[in-house]
Amino acid sequence: MKKIICILSIAFFAAVSCTTLVIPPKNIVTDDDLMSSQSGLKIYLTRLYSQMPWEDFKYMAQWGFSGNSWLGCLGIEGTGEAVNRDGICASFTGENTPWWGLSYTLIHDANHLIEKFPDYKDNYPEIAYNEFLGQAYFIRAYSYYQMARRYGGVPIIKNEISYPFEGEIEVPRSSEKETWDAILEDFDAAVELLPASATFSGTADKYAALAFKAEAMLYAGSVAKYNEQVSGRLTGFGEKTGVRVIGFAEDEWQACSNKYFSEAYKAASEVIKSGRYSLYMKQWAEGDKEAQYQNMNAMWRDPASPENILVMKYEYPTLSHGLDAYSSPWIYRMPLSAGTCPTEDFMELFDGFDRYPNGTIRVTDGTDHSNGNYILYEEPLDFFANVEPRLRAYVIFPGDFFKKDVIEIRAGIYTGNLPIKVLKADYSYAQRGRGHWDQDCFKGSTKTLFMSPNVNTEKVTYKNATTGEDVTTYASGANGPFYTNAESTVTGLYLRKYLDPDRALEDIGEGKSDQPFILMRYADVLLAAAEAGVELSIAGVASPTGDNMLQTATEAIRAIQKRAGANVLSTMLKGDTESRDLVRKERRKELAFEHKSKWDIRRWRVVDEQNRKGFWGVEKDLTTWSDGTQFEFQGFFPFYSSQADKWFFDIAFMDCARKTFSYSPVDYYFGIPGGEVTKSKYIDQQPNR
Amino acid sequence: MKKTIYYIMTAGVLALGLPSCSFFEIDNYAQPEETVKGVVIDVATGEPVLTEQSTNGIRVRMTELSYGPNVIHNPDFYCRDDGSFQNTKVFKGNYNIRVDGPFIPIVRENPDGELIEDNSITCDVKGTTELRFEVEPFLKVEFVGEPVVSGGKITAQVKVTRAVSVERFREQVEPMGGYNSNFTNVTDVRLFVSYSSTCSQRSQYSALSSKIEYGGASFESHLGEPITMVSSGTAKPNRKLFIRAAARINYGTPAGSGTRRYNYSEVKEVNIP
Repeated sequence: MKKIICILSIAFFAAVSCTTLVIPPKNIVTDDDLMSSQSGLKIYLTRLYSQMPWEDFKYMAQWGFSGNSWLGCLGIEGTGEAVNRDGICASFTGENTPWWGLSYTLIHDANHLIEKFPDYKDNYPEIAYNEFLGQAYFIRAYSYYQMARRYGGVPIIKNEISYPFEGEIEVPRSSEKETWDAILEDFDAAVELLPASATFSGTADKYAALAFKAEAMLYAGSVAKYNEQVSGRLTGFGEKTGVRVIGFAEDEWQACSNKYFSEAYKAASEVIKSGRYSLYMKQWAEGDKEAQYQNMNAMWRDPASPENILVMKYEYPTLSHGLDAYSSPWIYRMPLSAGTCPTEDFMELFDGFDRYPNGTIRVTDGTDHSNGNYILYEEPLDFFANVEPRLRAYVIFPGDFFKKDVIEIRAGIYTGNLPIKVLKADYSYAQRGRGHWDQDCFKGSTKTLFMSPNVNTEKVTYKNATTGEDVTTYASGANGPFYTNAESTVTGLYLRKYLDPDRALEDIGEGKSDQPFILMRYADVLLAAAEAGVELSIAGVASPTGDNMLQTATEAIRAIQKRAGANVLSTMLKGDTESRDLVRKERRKELAFEHKSKWDIRRWRVVDEQNRKGFWGVEKDLTTWSDGTQFEFQGFFPFYSSQADKWFFDIAFMDCARKTFSYSPVDYYFGIPGGEVTKSKYIDQQPNR
Repeated sequence: MKKTIYYIMTAGVLALGLPSCSFFEIDNYAQPEETVKGVVIDVATGEPVLTEQSTNGIRVRMTELSYGPNVIHNPDFYCRDDGSFQNTKVFKGNYNIRVDGPFIPIVRENPDGELIEDNSITCDVKGTTELRFEVEPFLKVEFVGEPVVSGGKITAQVKVTRAVSVERFREQVEPMGGYNSNFTNVTDVRLFVSYSSTCSQRSQYSALSSKIEYGGASFESHLGEPITMVSSGTAKPNRKLFIRAAARINYGTPAGSGTRRYNYSEVKEVNIP
C-alpha cells in the first residue's frame, strides 16, 4: 500500500504534458461571451450588483461592507434610535472594512462596461442598449456617492485602468466639489439612459436613479452648508497635492449648496410627478389606529407595495440574512436576541403621549420624570393607548403582541406602599452610573424593589391586591430587562420593524431570514423633496421646477404624517429653520432603523458637541443626555406595583450595558485607509487628522 | 497509511515553506531604544502648559523624514497632565516633532496651504533628545485659595485669565483664514473631581464634577475674577478626592479638527471629612 502511494505520488508530480495549448482556454470568460448577448450581460450585471454597497441587513456601521449579516442590528451606531450590549454599538466614526479598495474594484468593472459595451451596440435594440449602459453609470454614481459621504473628495476615475496600463496609474484625490459634481454627472447620465422600468428585478430604473440622486444631492447640499457651522469651518487641503480634499471654499459653498439642493429638489419632484409611486395605504383606514398600525406593519413585506422603488430581495437558502436571529425578543432567542433595543429618547419624537410642561413624556405627576409620584396603569399597553401607530409598527411595546404572544417586559416588581415616589434618588446625566440596583429601595434594609439579574432568577412572593391571593413569580419579565444580563432588552423596548412576525421559533436562525430590505421607498423621496424645498426657501433660491416648493414640502410631510397616524401639520411650512427642523424630525421618525439616520445626523453636522442640540432634528435640551464630549440615551422601564396591581414606568439610563458615545468634528470625514496613503505619492490623508 | 499521508502532507508543507528563507532568520533589527522627552512651556511665564493625557490634551506628533515626502507620521502620543512628554521607544533617525494643544498653533499655514510660520522642531533623535516647546497658551486657569468642603460638596474659587491677548491671538490666527471674532470667547469652565490624581475630562468622576457654560462673549466680565464652582452630587465621607479646574475658548486645534482643548489648573487634593 505504501509503495503504491509513493509510486502514485511520484507519477503525479513527474507527469509532464507535451500538448501545446493553442486553443483559447475555456475557463476564461471574454467580453464577447458577456457583452454580445443579453444573457451574458445579465451575468455581468449580477456580478456588479452583488458588489453594490447596499446598506441593508448585511451591512452594519461597525463592519462596513463585509457581506454578512453577523449580529444584524439596525440603528445602533450612535443615532439614538437604538442601542445594544455589544462593542458594535458605538459612534459612526469609521468602518472595519473601508469602502475604498472594494469601491474601485466595482468602479473598474463599471468603467469596463462603459468602455467596451459600445462595441456591441448593434447586438441590442436601442432601449436595451441604453438600459445596460445606464446601469453602469448608476453603479458608478452610487459607488462614488458612498465614498464621498465617507471621505469627501476621492480620486475620480472615469476610464478603465487595467494592468498593464500605459500612462499614469495613480490618481490623486479630487476636491470635494469636483467629486460631488462627478457624482451628479453620473446620476444624470443614468437617469437619461435608464428606462422607466428595469428588465431585471432588483436593478435600478430611471426613478430609482432619480431617487438616489436626490438622496446624494441632499447630502452634498447639506455638507456644503453645514460645514460652515462646525467650529473653525470644516475644510482643508491635502498635504501632498494642495487640493481642497474636504469642504468647500468660503466663496463657493453657498453657490454649491444651492446647486445641490436644487438638483435634489428637481430629482425628487420628477419621481413625485411621475405618479408611479404612492405611500403604502392598502390596509389603512381613516381614524382607525389599529388599521393604520397593521398597514405600516405589512408594508415591509408586501412585494407589490406601490411605495417600493428599489428593493434588495432575499431568498432562503441561497441568499439570506439573520435579522430575526439577532434582534428578536428574548423568548425567541435563537441564538441571540435583543440586538436592537429602541431608546426612550427615540420614543420622545412620536405623538400621542402625555407630556410634562418641558415637552418630555410624562410618567409621574411631578414636573419631570425625576420627581413626583408615578402614574399607574391597569396594563402596560394602556400607557400607549393614544400613541401614533407608526411607533407601534416600529417598536414592540411592553405587553404588546408579537407573533401571537404577549411580549412580557418588566424591569421589576415594587412591593412598597402607594403612592410610589420616583425610584431613583437622582436622574441626572452625571448620576447615570447609579442604576436601579444602586437605590435604597433595592439594596436598603427595607427592600421594596425586586429585580432579576438574569433570566429565571430572583423569585418574589406577594399578595395580589385585587384577588388577595399569594403570587410567586420572577421579578423581571420573560423578556427582561435584567439588571446584569444584557442579552435581553437593555432599554425596555424591542424592535418590531422588519422582524418577520410569521416566522416560527424553530425557523429563526443565523442565515435563515429572507424578508426583503427596502433600499429606497417613496416616503424617502417625499422627505427629500420637502427638505430640499425648505432649504432652498431658506437660501432664497427660486424653485428649480417653477412650482411652489413650500406647498410641495407641506403636502409631502402631511401625507407621511397622515399615513403614520401622527398629528398632521396644521400650518404651511415656511422658509425658516423651524420648518426645516419639522422636516428633519419627520425624517428621523419615518426612516428610523433603515440605515439612513446615521447619514442624516452626519450631513446636518449635529453630532459634535457644539451643534448637538439639533441631534434629534428638532432642538432638544442637551443637559439631560450629554456632558459635552460624550452622550448617552435612556431606557423606558416598566415596573409592576403589587400593592396596586398596576403598572408604572420609569425613564432612566440603562441598568446594564450602558453605552457612551462621543463624536468630534474630525469624524464628519472618515480617515483615508492608512495603507492607501502610505503607498501612494498622491493620496492625501484628511488634513485635520 | 494515515502516517504516510501525514508524511506526504508534511513534506508538501515544508516544500512550500522552503523558498522563503527569511522564515528561518531571526529578526535582528535593533529595538527602538532612543528617548525623546520634553516640555511644553508658556513663553510668557516659563511655566509648563498644563493639560490632560488623552486625545483631547496636547498631542505630540513625530514624523521620521528619511522616507521622503510620502511619509506617514508615527503614532501620536500625548503629554502628561503636567505638560511634559516622554517616549522611550523611538528608532534612531531624523524627525520632525510638533505639538498641538490649547495654544496658538506652532505650525501655521494660510488658506492656500502656504506656510506662515513653523516652530516645530526637526532634529536627529539619538540617545536622549530633550526638547522644549515655547508656546502661547490661550488661557491660564488657577484656583484661588483653598477649596472648602461642606456637606459632601466641594466649593472652589477658580480664576481664568487670558494667557494671550485677544489682539495677539487675532494677529497670529487671522492669517490662517476663516477668522471669527468669537474664537476668543471663553465657552465653559469646568471643575473635575476624581478619585485619582490624574484628574481631567477623560479621567473624572462625572457624578461629582460640574460645569458652567457661557454663551457668546458673556465671560468677558468674569476674566480675572474668581468664579465659585461647586461640585455636583454629594461625595461620600472619609475619602480623598482630587479636583482640577479647566476652561477653553471657542477655537479648535489643530486648525480644522474642531477639537476645542482645555487649559487646566494644578491638581488639588481634597479630603472629605
